[in-house]
Amino acid sequence: MEGAVAAVGGTLHPGATAFTATAQAIERRLGLLFAGTGVALVAGMGVLGLIMRLTQATIIGVSPAWFYRVLTLHGVGMITGVLLVMMGALWYVLHATVPLSAGRMVTTYLLTIAGVLAVLVATLIGGFGAGWAFLPPLPFYPAGQWSVWSESLFFVGNLLVGAGFCVFCIDVLEQTTNTYGGLFRALGWHYLRGRDEDAPPPQAIAATVVAIDGLISCAVGSTILLGLLGRTYDHAVGIDALVAKNLVYFFGHSIANLTIYLAAAVVYVLVPRYAGRPYETTKVFVAGWAGSLVFIATAYSHHLYMDFVQPAWADVISEVASYGALLPVAVITIYSMTMLIWGSSFHWTLASTLLYVGFAGWAIGGVGAVIDSIIPINFRLHNTTWVVAHFHTYLILCVVVWAVAFLAHLLERDAGRTTPRALRAWTVGLILVGGYGLTGTWFVEGALGVPRRYAIQPSGTTGYSVVGASFALLLAFGFLILFLQFIPLARTAWTRRHNHLLVDHFDSWTGTHYQARALHAGNAPALETAGQSRRGTPLTGRAQLGFGLAACIVALAAFFPQIIDASEVSNRYHHLDHAGQFFLGAMLGVLLGSLPAISHRLGDHSSLGLTAVLVAPMLMMAVMVPRIYEPLERDPFEHSLYHLAMAAFGLLTGVGATRLGLVTGRIMFVLSVGMPLMFAAAMK
Amino acid sequence: MNLRFGNPQIAIGVTFAVLALLLAVVFAVIAVQAGSDVGAQRVHDLGYWLRKRWLAVLLVIGVLVVGVSLFDLPFARGSAADRTVVNVTGGQFFWSLSPDRAPAGSDIRFDVTSVDVNHGFGIYDPDGHLIGSVQAMPGYRNKLDLNLAEAGVYRIRCLELCGLNHSTMESTFTVTRP
Repeated sequence: MEGAVAAVGGTLHPGATAFTATAQAIERRLGLLFAGTGVALVAGMGVLGLIMRLTQATIIGVSPAWFYRVLTLHGVGMITGVLLVMMGALWYVLHATVPLSAGRMVTTYLLTIAGVLAVLVATLIGGFGAGWAFLPPLPFYPAGQWSVWSESLFFVGNLLVGAGFCVFCIDVLEQTTNTYGGLFRALGWHYLRGRDEDAPPPQAIAATVVAIDGLISCAVGSTILLGLLGRTYDHAVGIDALVAKNLVYFFGHSIANLTIYLAAAVVYVLVPRYAGRPYETTKVFVAGWAGSLVFIATAYSHHLYMDFVQPAWADVISEVASYGALLPVAVITIYSMTMLIWGSSFHWTLASTLLYVGFAGWAIGGVGAVIDSIIPINFRLHNTTWVVAHFHTYLILCVVVWAVAFLAHLLERDAGRTTPRALRAWTVGLILVGGYGLTGTWFVEGALGVPRRYAIQPSGTTGYSVVGASFALLLAFGFLILFLQFIPLARTAWTRRHNHLLVDHFDSWTGTHYQARALHAGNAPALETAGQSRRGTPLTGRAQLGFGLAACIVALAAFFPQIIDASEVSNRYHHLDHAGQFFLGAMLGVLLGSLPAISHRLGDHSSLGLTAVLVAPMLMMAVMVPRIYEPLERDPFEHSLYHLAMAAFGLLTGVGATRLGLVTGRIMFVLSVGMPLMFAAAMK
Repeated sequence: MNLRFGNPQIAIGVTFAVLALLLAVVFAVIAVQAGSDVGAQRVHDLGYWLRKRWLAVLLVIGVLVVGVSLFDLPFARGSAADRTVVNVTGGQFFWSLSPDRAPAGSDIRFDVTSVDVNHGFGIYDPDGHLIGSVQAMPGYRNKLDLNLAEAGVYRIRCLELCGLNHSTMESTFTVTRP
């Protein structure tokens, strides 16, 4: 049917029919749900951005208290909005080759929406305004602007968004590694070594990288958020500002960064549909994404360049990683896609035009970011509006534009037509002029030394804000015209989907081909459950089981009275001991769940396993608060029970990890054990 | 005191503007060429030949830029024995500098911390140029070495979101004629 739509409507390149997968009803529905919700959220957050710029220009008057609420909501909402769209888009393009679970995707959606609502209430009603980076300990110094409940709700909201992304990443990782036969194969590394000619498609490799880095980011984010939640409940909890800053920026930077890498996986599938040339995995592609796997996780430290107490080696690694991250983007993604487009009789539609201009946004914004990542330059630009400029360039003019492009792609395919050429040109022109004008003004202000996140601009700089606000209005107008074009497209799509289809027929009497209207056959049944086949357990073979047993014996030390007594010297060591008890339980869980007889009896309950690895470590850290455990420590029996509970949370986590298969199970085990360790490190 | 563009910032801005314009031209050319019909094999052969050179260029630029930058790190080194130490404390929403003045041309070590949340110690010279910054972090002391040659009033602005009055958290440091 997809072929029929393409042939009749002509929204795709004629040459793309050969490699364009048929879109199943579930893919379209989830794609539309995520894209529609995400784009609506982005639009709302864009309006908030406009309000802030108009405030800085003194065109409207918003008090600093409201400015910082709006700033906080704008940041979290915008990242969540594009994350929603890109998760839906990746699901849409990946589901054809990898059996992702629709049920888990709906769970992701619900968790994310619940998180957004929590942040909305925490900021607009609760007055929380510590910024989307909520740099500790700022949430606990509200200057009379917010109360404990709103900061707690904000943390819960972020946890929910992180949990939603985590469910998505676990499903992607589990299914790509199952489908392609292990982690190295899903990453294409076997192909790199020349052992096999059968490499996964580009979107699968990119999705696997995003899933791994996403899971690491979520583990780090959950850890610091739970630590901060503990602090709201017990003010005696001391949090190390430097460690907390590292954790917060690892989480925030990586999640924001991953939205663009998610988008890259999507454009590998969409752009070829307009260029009529397939995009296939090459060795350079595999090597580039292996680099991205490392660079995404190591570049965050550039946020701490001006914290001179941060070890210098961490800054140098970050500078190298920040530049290194440019290479796969410039040499593979942007270069290959433009190469694919060059001389291809490119099919210009609303979606493809937006996809194309997105590459320029990524390239130009990326240059601004790389310049800022050079340490001596950052010394002059740190936390000026230069930072705002470069990340808005690739967020607005690449990620947001691609988010809207994905929605346009869905609507155009269903409608079988695009929008008038002149209208498209005006729309994209307005977005480009408005967008680059807005970010260009920030670049100029950054070079002037204007600090970012100022509700009231330094004297003499209001003129720049007025210019920036004018361009922001143009940008908003461009997006408004764009969204208005979606209405007739959606109407046509609705009619075509629900009334009739044009079906190719062959008249056997006359020998002619013709198209006839046919009643819609009805969409596929509601949410399907993707076929999930678990591959192995984290520990396989006697040697690995023996290693697990040995690790359990060593970890028993966490229960020795001498160790427990010694750990009482500080909260950090105390929590380290709890982490050891959790490790013992988790290791034991993995060991037991990996034993063939027990694994067989436990069955293939991967969703239960996923729930356990998500919830159990969080619960463990949620009760790791002095106000909870100190009363218990007065009674030896209760004290012992508390420590056993730490191990029990670990046991649940370990057994749960075994239900996720060899690769995902191992990764989740390592991350779950790492969470209480990081938690302990962040305490003081 | 109004802000003014510093020479390093002008150089950075111009470099970025040139690169951005260059990229805009390249993307415009590709957009124009996208409509033409060139054989996929030809694009493939020429494109991959060119890509190797493109990677080499980026690698060389990276090694040079990152390498050179490592010789100009702003982190304080050595002891403060020959320096005037200025203890800087940030708090919601004030700066406390002790001493709050020094003679022109003296080597100064700003020893920066915070009593509550993270702040950013951004220092602007008497002409309004941002000459550098360092974070003020609770529980830690970040040390920033500067030689302030020009006499006059230097303005301190907060460069890290610290709450309600972040944008008005200012102070001054006076450099006197020797």
